[in-house]
Amino acid sequence: MAKSKSRTKAPQNADEDDVVMQELPTSHQPDVQDDASMAEANGEDDADIEDEEEVEDDTQRVRLLPGSTPTAASFEFLDEGHTLGNALRYIIMKNPDVEFCAYAIPHPSEPKMNVRIQTYEGTTAIDALQKGLKDLQDVCDVVSDKFVAAQKGFKKKSIPP
Amino acid sequence: MDYDPMAMDEIESKGPVIKISQADTVRVKFELSNADISFANSLRRVMLAEIPTIAIDLVEIEDNSSVLADEFIAHRLGLIPLNAEGIDELQYSRDCDCEEYCDHCSVKLTLHARCTGDENMQVVARDLVPSGDRINRVLGTPIINESSDGLGPLIMKLRPGQEIKLSCIAKKGIAKEHAKWAAPSAIGFEYDPHNKLHHLDMWYETDAKLEWPPSEYADWEEPPQEGEKFDFNAVPDRFYFNVETAGNIPPDAIVTQGIKVIQEKLASMIKDLGETEGGENGDYNGPRSPEYNGGGGDGWQDQGFTTPYGNGGNQSSWGGGAGGTTPYGTTPYGGAGQDNGGW
Repeated sequence: MAKSKSRTKAPQNADEDDVVMQELPTSHQPDVQDDASMAEANGEDDADIEDEEEVEDDTQRVRLLPGSTPTAASFEFLDEGHTLGNALRYIIMKNPDVEFCAYAIPHPSEPKMNVRIQTYEGTTAIDALQKGLKDLQDVCDVVSDKFVAAQKGFKKKSIPP
Repeated sequence: MDYDPMAMDEIESKGPVIKISQADTVRVKFELSNADISFANSLRRVMLAEIPTIAIDLVEIEDNSSVLADEFIAHRLGLIPLNAEGIDELQYSRDCDCEEYCDHCSVKLTLHARCTGDENMQVVARDLVPSGDRINRVLGTPIINESSDGLGPLIMKLRPGQEIKLSCIAKKGIAKEHAKWAAPSAIGFEYDPHNKLHHLDMWYETDAKLEWPPSEYADWEEPPQEGEKFDFNAVPDRFYFNVETAGNIPPDAIVTQGIKVIQEKLASMIKDLGETEGGENGDYNGPRSPEYNGGGGDGWQDQGFTTPYGNGGNQSSWGGGAGGTTPYGTTPYGGAGQDNGGW
């Protein structure tokens, strides 16, 4: 696992390395595309673009926001809200390797939820997010099992022998 | 990382506890303790808004000579609770292969009533007749409570000679889209019955204690002692749920289904993350190793293990040894602080 930041190695790049804070909120920034797809969009016919978009709404619901580093990342979740956000924030914050975690819903009329994770060296924000999701699943498993057990116990109690 | 994610607070690490205090066909009351409020609230929200059920979504009115407008009747029909047993096998109409709707994604109900007597006549939910091939014998059947003498909710009244004839398509959906798909009719959610945490500011005329009735859970928790100081480190940790159903899903099934929905959400997120992580670095659609220095070839990976922190040789200067692989290893945040419960 990468335990370092390039900042420490190459001080001459310090300015470039700093996370650029975009002035506009992410929802108003143009979609950032990688070089390959840019070329495609500029040079090729429209069919390719359409295909790409279709694939996009099919699956991608989590995305890494621009300006993220390995240990400090912002994620954008589509079609999620406080239901997942707050519980996830809590469980990620319980991870001792995580320095900071918060969530926000940037605008109530957009179905988006952002999670910011900053970790200490030695782990990455993506790992912390994955661990958080798994931990929350484990909690759900336990609560589900406990509820079923309580249900059985209650039925036994209420039906006298 | 051997902290215990179950230990939602410092008391014990045995994880959340559930106690059921009442359970019948209409409601289940239970206490969730040793859990965090964020999780309890997630459960409440998901039960309220995201459990799939079935409700009338399309209405085709063939004949309506009643005093009520077509759209008014259609709206009422949508709100009639339908049995959602076996809803898991029903598909969402939008995901179904069919053109508009079919037996795999909908249930058809028909209503035909004419007042032939000389008294006004009631049209009730029992008059809605399901038809077609259904997944099971009950899915989509209107809920009839004992209290209504086997008639079910009143839809409308007809004067002598008036007639109503219509067919409905019931579809699967969730309450986030429209409240008619709500699985519970109501959820009670409370904590801290003595308001020790001061999350509430009780309105009163002369004395809040006398004017506000005590919660039914007031006996379950210690009342505040005379002259007790406010504990500003206290967090809520016992939550009292009262999940009440209109009959479409049994109350205990709402709870288990709710947890299932949370887990499905999480599973889809984990899948989403896993799928894209292995992908190419340039894929901006998803999580990936970021090129945060603006590209140019010398990404962070290339410079990886050459920093003063990363190398094994430097571990000793930071304490090294177990768990000391980061510069923070010996701080209260790292390995040494795993059990201090401050989080």
